[in-house]
Amino acid sequence: MIQKKICILGAAGVGKTSLTAQFVYSKFSEKYLSSMGVKIDRKVVHVDETDVNLMIWDVHGEEKYKKIPTSYLRGASGILMVIDGTRIDTVAVAEEVRQRVLDKLGDVPFVYLLNKSDLQDAWSINENIMQQLQVTGSPILLTSAKTGDNVETAFSTIAKAMLPT
Amino acid sequence: MNKPHIPKSISQRLASYHLANLSPAWVELAPNTEQIKSIGGKWQAYFTKQPKVNTNISDYCDTLQGMLPIEYAFELPHMQLKDNTYTDIIAFEDVSGGWLLFLDVTNNVLELQQYQQAANELHLLKGQLDRTLSRHIGHEIAQLAVDGDIQLNTEGERKIISTLFVDIRGFTNYNEKVDAQEVMNTLNAYMHEMLQSILDNHGIIDKIMGDGIMAIFGIAASNNNHVEDVFQAGLTIQQRIKALNEKRAQRQQEVLGVGVGIATGEAVLGILGSHERRAFTAIGKHVNLAARLESNARAGEILLDEVTLNALEKTPHHRRVNLELKGIGKVDVYTVVLD
Ligand SMILES: Nc1nc2c(ncn2[C@@H]2O[C@H](COP(=O)(O)OP(=O)(O)OP(=O)(O)O)[C@@H](O)[C@H]2O)c(=O)[nH]1
Ligand SMILES: [Mg+2]
Repeated sequence: MIQKKICILGAAGVGKTSLTAQFVYSKFSEKYLSSMGVKIDRKVVHVDETDVNLMIWDVHGEEKYKKIPTSYLRGASGILMVIDGTRIDTVAVAEEVRQRVLDKLGDVPFVYLLNKSDLQDAWSINENIMQQLQVTGSPILLTSAKTGDNVETAFSTIAKAMLPT
Repeated sequence: MNKPHIPKSISQRLASYHLANLSPAWVELAPNTEQIKSIGGKWQAYFTKQPKVNTNISDYCDTLQGMLPIEYAFELPHMQLKDNTYTDIIAFEDVSGGWLLFLDVTNNVLELQQYQQAANELHLLKGQLDRTLSRHIGHEIAQLAVDGDIQLNTEGERKIISTLFVDIRGFTNYNEKVDAQEVMNTLNAYMHEMLQSILDNHGIIDKIMGDGIMAIFGIAASNNNHVEDVFQAGLTIQQRIKALNEKRAQRQQEVLGVGVGIATGEAVLGILGSHERRAFTAIGKHVNLAARLESNARAGEILLDEVTLNALEKTPHHRRVNLELKGIGKVDVYTVVLD
């Protein structure tokens, strides 16, 4: 079976661990536990008649004084870049991390996840930001780790992007 | 004589000192492969079964899949090999082959986690508070626009208004001493008193800046002159904070004071920003003056500019102070004498 490593990256508290937990264990918790280091989970996804064994690296949030070490990226074939749709400052963090990934890995597939889409009232992503993200050419998905909306799609989209065409 | 190298006995002592609590294990790899040549140390802490010579190390350690051979040295800090344990993995090569070193850093990481958690929670909670408030502000402005009280053109409308700034004194200090949830509760309690005083006196919240507020008077409908409203809001803030502090002191909770600055003048009102995230704002000389007055006001104090003082129907008890204000110069300002 094809095996692929992906990293799920972004600012602290955007929902990386929640998205992974929803995808792998169909679970969601309102309680927030800041991740330290890396936790690895696996799940097989079925895309285009191929089974892909995804090795998911759920990495701690990027912070000003605690950057994501580039050694974590070693051997990764794809990146899920998570933004908290209710916190506009997490967009700039995603951009900074993306640059670091490009420097280290070159042109790997990215998928942007605008997470917490269930929080309609607090939604802060405007057209400008959408355009700014679209320029990168990477797919953009609205997800909710809480309702499970688009979570499967998120992981199968990145899996598909990593397969040879 | 000055020896350039650390003597062997010292480096051994240092190593045992640092490694003592880290349960080290190491794996030697055949050059340019991931094949095990030898293993040593407390492997039980990291692998569920004992790695065998001449097999691949990634069969025992999932994390290393796709990462070997080593090629160039790397370190993987804080890897959760099992639930609630953290391992540093250090990989490097020497002349004979590759080395993988495993160190149990769980205790260290769990301690760090506490700090991380507190900082991140505070960050998330602050975001929530800002959003709740800016939503509230958005609705109010929208309603005024619907009623025709203000014109939401991007060119901006000119109008005489009063601006009030208020800020909690010493909050940053306090912030560093106490846990995140308590900080949020405290901030909420003080914010509530300040916001209510402003809203009750027909002020509009223009901005929330961390532990401070900018409010403008003379736009929302009111039966009073806006100078009376803004002054009343300043007084109410200090009264309500005083009452809050008395309650908090009884409960042995930390008490904080707030400083208020008020100025009056012409401002351009308008909508700044793009389609989705427009922000209403007031721009004018007196707005800067009000901000400077607030930063000079001590806990419990209200500072007024001359225009505001003279416009009040009944002149309050006050003292004149000559202040040198950043970016403005020397001005006479007035501190309200509260009874
Ligand atoms: N409403 C809602 N809340 C969410 C969603 N995703 C995550 N959360 C909440 O957001 C908080 C942070 O979620 P985590 O998944 O721990 O965030 P993280 O990105 O892993 O955080 P770090 O590990 O610190 O970087 C938790 O309280 C979650 O319950 C979502 O889609 N909707
Ligand atoms: Mg996490």
